[in-house]
Amino acid sequence: MSDPAAGSESTGENVAGERPEPEPEGVTDETTVQGDDVELERTIGLVGGLAIGIGTMIGAGIFVFPGLAAEEAGLAATLSFAIGGVIALLVALPTSELATAMPRSGGGYYFISRSMGTPYGAIVGLGLWLGLVFASAFYLVGLGHYVVAVLAETGVVLTGLPVGPHVILGLLFGAALTALSVGGTENTATLQNVIVVILLAVLTGFLTYGVLDAAGVFGRQSVPQEFFSQGQLPVLTTAALVFTSYLGFAQVATVAGEIKQPGRNLPLAMVGSVIVVTIFYVVTIFVATSSFGAERLGTFGETAMVEVARDLLGRPGAVLILFAGLLATFSSANASILSASRSVYALSRDALLPRWASRINLKYGTPHIALGMAGGPILVLVATDQVEILAEVASFLHLVMYSLICVALLVLRRRDPPWYDPSFQIPGYPVVPIVGAVASAGLIAFMNPASIVIGAAVMGGSYLWYRYYATDVRLKGDV
Amino acid sequence: MTDRPSVLVPIRVLEGESIPDGVPKLLADAHVVLLGYHVIPEQTAPGQAQMQFEERATARMDELEELFETAGATVERRLVFTHAAQKTINRLSHEEDCLAVLIPDTVTEMDDVLVAVRGTVGIDRLARVVDGVFAGTDATVTLYHVAREGESDADAQTLLDGLADRLVDNGFEEDRIKTRIEREQDPVDAIVDATVDFDALVMGESDPTLATFVFGLPADQVADQFLGPVFVVQRERPEVEEKTEE
Repeated sequence: MSDPAAGSESTGENVAGERPEPEPEGVTDETTVQGDDVELERTIGLVGGLAIGIGTMIGAGIFVFPGLAAEEAGLAATLSFAIGGVIALLVALPTSELATAMPRSGGGYYFISRSMGTPYGAIVGLGLWLGLVFASAFYLVGLGHYVVAVLAETGVVLTGLPVGPHVILGLLFGAALTALSVGGTENTATLQNVIVVILLAVLTGFLTYGVLDAAGVFGRQSVPQEFFSQGQLPVLTTAALVFTSYLGFAQVATVAGEIKQPGRNLPLAMVGSVIVVTIFYVVTIFVATSSFGAERLGTFGETAMVEVARDLLGRPGAVLILFAGLLATFSSANASILSASRSVYALSRDALLPRWASRINLKYGTPHIALGMAGGPILVLVATDQVEILAEVASFLHLVMYSLICVALLVLRRRDPPWYDPSFQIPGYPVVPIVGAVASAGLIAFMNPASIVIGAAVMGGSYLWYRYYATDVRLKGDV
Repeated sequence: MTDRPSVLVPIRVLEGESIPDGVPKLLADAHVVLLGYHVIPEQTAPGQAQMQFEERATARMDELEELFETAGATVERRLVFTHAAQKTINRLSHEEDCLAVLIPDTVTEMDDVLVAVRGTVGIDRLARVVDGVFAGTDATVTLYHVAREGESDADAQTLLDGLADRLVDNGFEEDRIKTRIEREQDPVDAIVDATVDFDALVMGESDPTLATFVFGLPADQVADQFLGPVFVVQRERPEVEEKTEE
């Protein structure tokens, strides 16, 4: 760990001779002050923050996982989602406190590098970037499945391809999204807000009907079933699998430098989005499993929700959920690609990645290299078509970060440096961050061995990169 | 001369937008708040743009600052990287307590200035801008009002005379003040038509309404069609800013 008394400025340089950018002089409700007369405007409000959080998360939990989760854990998958939600909340609270003290781009990476030292920061930062890459790939495979289902609904069946048609479609969408981010329409955020509002409206209507139906209001018998039909252990392994559905709140922190009134909006957006999606997930799984029974639901795979909707509302219901699934997986993939690019920027600002990685394209004003460093590896991963592995590795890398975020909070509260002055303080200190750290790390143990090996390899690679590229760089907290 | 009125001059500093000819001279008696801003798309973090462009932007700001200072103005400068230009302009106008925002355009001779007067609200700030910027020049100011339905010419004249008296009280030469009243359906069109004979325009900012949401602010509409600098007098902001947006 770097010496906390080493001075208030970041020091050292990387292999290319680049030094970390100076820290900002201060933060106001509306700007980050970057020197005498230079400011960075904050332009994302509470609605925008919630839309990033909810928009990133809701795609996976509702539209990809229900079938997979029901197959593994039966009706108890409801409990798996609830466990995920509780862990996410335990981490969202400490993340909020840290974010209000350090409202800067980079999120978890920034907090950890400034409180626990550069090596931890480098592992988490590179892990965050690659974790988002894995998550985006996972969303794109999901999106591919939805496009296939849409085509099937209209009578088009793609056959005779060397790989599954959803993989090819996922690749096409991945390339298109990356190109779109580089070529840039300026209204992506507004679009994201609209998509999230539409999704929440559609889902609320659909789930309300589903709950009433399950309760027997419409006179149908729901399938009676045993809660722990697959035993208790799968509840935890499923929780580890579906945790990918809870990665989005940390993406709010990656744009913390652009959130207006960060002291108020960051905690509200992060905690709020976790609570909203947890409720939606639990109700969705409940409705899905009671309409079909978990066993049959499991046979429908990634687009199981479409069959649930068809069963409840006929063909219009299926079309509605198909449409919603397209929007949701698209918005998740889009938000994750943008967050991955923001992480590359945060690392390159601190000289942990080359400065050229965050270069801005003069024609479009967009960071084409950083976006390419997200989009390129995403395409490779989409091609593997390993939905569960992609999801778990993404979760693994995030969970490591979450666990360390909780530790960072404990470190900062104990050390209490003069610059640490969060406007939001978590309730239940120190129990909440301790339980959050243990639970996040603990969940990893229930993953597929393959996911754990890949995740650990990414972390090891990150550390080696740091030792090779930026071993002299010392980052300091000073906002 | 009394107080220098603060005038915000927003410039897209990295897109080759420069200070049009004549503007530094026009603002010689003002306190110029020079806002250099750079708008970036949402995919880009403001800090990213700062990392790459700050040096170039600062060099440019140095040049612009010198232009104004040479002409005689006092200058305060800010450089902002932003996703939303209008938000930045509004914020700075408020923070720096600016009486007016200048939408710059070329001005060769400063002989005739049109001052559009909407009503009594905000007339104090309007007077301070006209007095502060133009008292030290030779320009003639024409106080102009578009009468609404049911408003008599006498009422309109009283409004304009009130403003004229106030300017004269501050030492503005009386023979450099004219008044003019117009009746037409749409005030924006009327103002645009009237500006043909003038070198510069001073007008008020209007309250945000649905129409301004759809068609843009009247001041911007006018500025699009008028080939000279436009001073948009800012309405008084409440002390505690309302946090309603978004």
